[in-house]
Amino acid sequence: MERSNLIPAPATIADIKQLTDKEKLFTIKLNNDSGIRYRPCQFVIFSIFGIGEAPISISSAPLDSGDTIELCIRSAGNLTGAIHRLSLNDRIGIRGPYGNGFPLEKIDGKDVLIVAGGLGLASLRSLINYIIHHRWRYGKVTLLIGAKRPRDILFKEEVLRWEDEPSVETYIAVDVAEPSWTRHVGVITGLFKYVDVDPLNTIAAVVGPPIMYRFVIAELLSKGIFEGNIFLSLERRMRCGIGKCGHCQINGIYLCQNGPVLSYKDAKKLQEAM
Amino acid sequence: MDAIIEYRDVERFILELLSDYDVIAPVSKDSHYIFDQIDDPARVVPIIIRNYDTTLLPPVKWIYPDSEVLLRFNINELTETKAVTASRKQVLAFLHPCDINAINIMDEILAEEPSDLNYLARRRPTVMIGYDCPGPCRENILCFDKGYHKADRGFDLFFTDTGDRFYVSTATDTGNAIAEKSAVLRKAGYADKVDLMKINWERETRFKKSVHGDMNRLSHLLKESYDDGIWDIEGKKCLSCGACNIVCPTCYCFDVVDEISPDMEKGLRYRKWDGCQLHNFCETASGENFREGIAARVRHRIFKKEVYLKKRFGRSGCVGCGRCIDSCIAHISIIDIFNHVMEKARGHGEI
Repeated sequence: MERSNLIPAPATIADIKQLTDKEKLFTIKLNNDSGIRYRPCQFVIFSIFGIGEAPISISSAPLDSGDTIELCIRSAGNLTGAIHRLSLNDRIGIRGPYGNGFPLEKIDGKDVLIVAGGLGLASLRSLINYIIHHRWRYGKVTLLIGAKRPRDILFKEEVLRWEDEPSVETYIAVDVAEPSWTRHVGVITGLFKYVDVDPLNTIAAVVGPPIMYRFVIAELLSKGIFEGNIFLSLERRMRCGIGKCGHCQINGIYLCQNGPVLSYKDAKKLQEAM
Repeated sequence: MDAIIEYRDVERFILELLSDYDVIAPVSKDSHYIFDQIDDPARVVPIIIRNYDTTLLPPVKWIYPDSEVLLRFNINELTETKAVTASRKQVLAFLHPCDINAINIMDEILAEEPSDLNYLARRRPTVMIGYDCPGPCRENILCFDKGYHKADRGFDLFFTDTGDRFYVSTATDTGNAIAEKSAVLRKAGYADKVDLMKINWERETRFKKSVHGDMNRLSHLLKESYDDGIWDIEGKKCLSCGACNIVCPTCYCFDVVDEISPDMEKGLRYRKWDGCQLHNFCETASGENFREGIAARVRHRIFKKEVYLKKRFGRSGCVGCGRCIDSCIAHISIIDIFNHVMEKARGHGEI
């Protein structure tokens, strides 16, 4: 009898780091020999048996064919609440990876502009670390990172390291800050005034809360970047990951199969996308 | 080998099936019909001899049940989660052409890679026997408009009533084997085939269209009507109860749910039907609801069948059985909606 493809593989919690008040970073070790192969901006379906399943973006970068992945998880619902109560060595289930992932072949030799709002950094961190690791392959790399407050910035130490990294230009914005904050205060679109782009040679990657897309895309278009060169990763309720259960459907496409990454050129044809 | 069976022998034929298979067939329930597992052929025979009205729930439920266990687990030994894929030798007997066409559509959707292995495990050992309705079964149907009032594949055997007897067409090796094994089927002769052609021709003349316009243009016209006022009008009526999803023979959306025993040790994960008309269908853990408006959900149900599935598979995902119309307590009718977009196109001189 064939195994159902909705059956998770057993895995173990290998490390837990508290990132902010609401987010923790979990290192997951797959209990198999073959490891897990994935692309930036793909996701897995995380199971706690007895509680349920939820889709989670992969935050680590596919730099070796290791048997671990990192998942940055906000405690938001029933399952993610339970995930936050897990301890080291707890056994869980993982299915995937699912989704198309970021089209890495599109950015070879190009300038890359990455816009990460809030939890959007959870999936873009994978792409950023992938790019930094293969830095020689790309032109200018610019990171725009937004959060509500300084203490809400995910992967803060890493973000500050990127800021010091001479090969990438990093700008950080927070909506609200205490007077000691020396960087930008305001919404993420306020960072575009610092950015100088070569519109014909730039690929943009945007992930953030739904409200952010419209404003960020308007900025990118006004810089002259082509619609087909702006890539978005959209959030939907992914339940099965195999394009059947219907929850992630946006007009005619299943986001778990044809997404989550779409070019703005394709996304704008879908009335339900934005 | 096409065959003939007399009315009086149908009971015996069903008994023959029962010796090899679980048999699921139409039976009466109150003033309606349902598909049920039977052991007494006498429950079925009178129904197929006088024809039956569309069943409340579609027969596909026996391949894609409302809830289905995916795996069993024990919290203490998580290395041994047990995957469950159920299958059994079953006959879905005396299915109307609309319901056969619906299962053909489900097959196409769920076999598409990555395929739904739970569905396929039940589907593969299922034998299908078709049964021709002699004409329109009731008012709110549009099978004829869609060409789904006839089935040309998806069955192993197919029964057509020719008065006092049934003409039994065989379409597959399995169907042939059943026919040859049966003691009550006799080989159809030339005269029987002529009878069948006559009956099929007469049957065709009994249907009439429910939607006034060119159905080949429907998908296009709906797309043009994406922002039409009809969705708000129908959305105001809709109660988001999801009855249309439950009765639809081509709805396949599901949710995955865990259940654990009171001792917090053993549990199971199962999938159960979900419905795109329900309010929280597209709600994520962050609280964002990506199809919050009722009008948008009503439109999505219709677009899914007539635009999105049509684009993927080249034909409409709605077989026109009309169950969604009959089950809607708010009186939302896809026939009315289709007539509205056709009417609008005529007003614009488009058709």
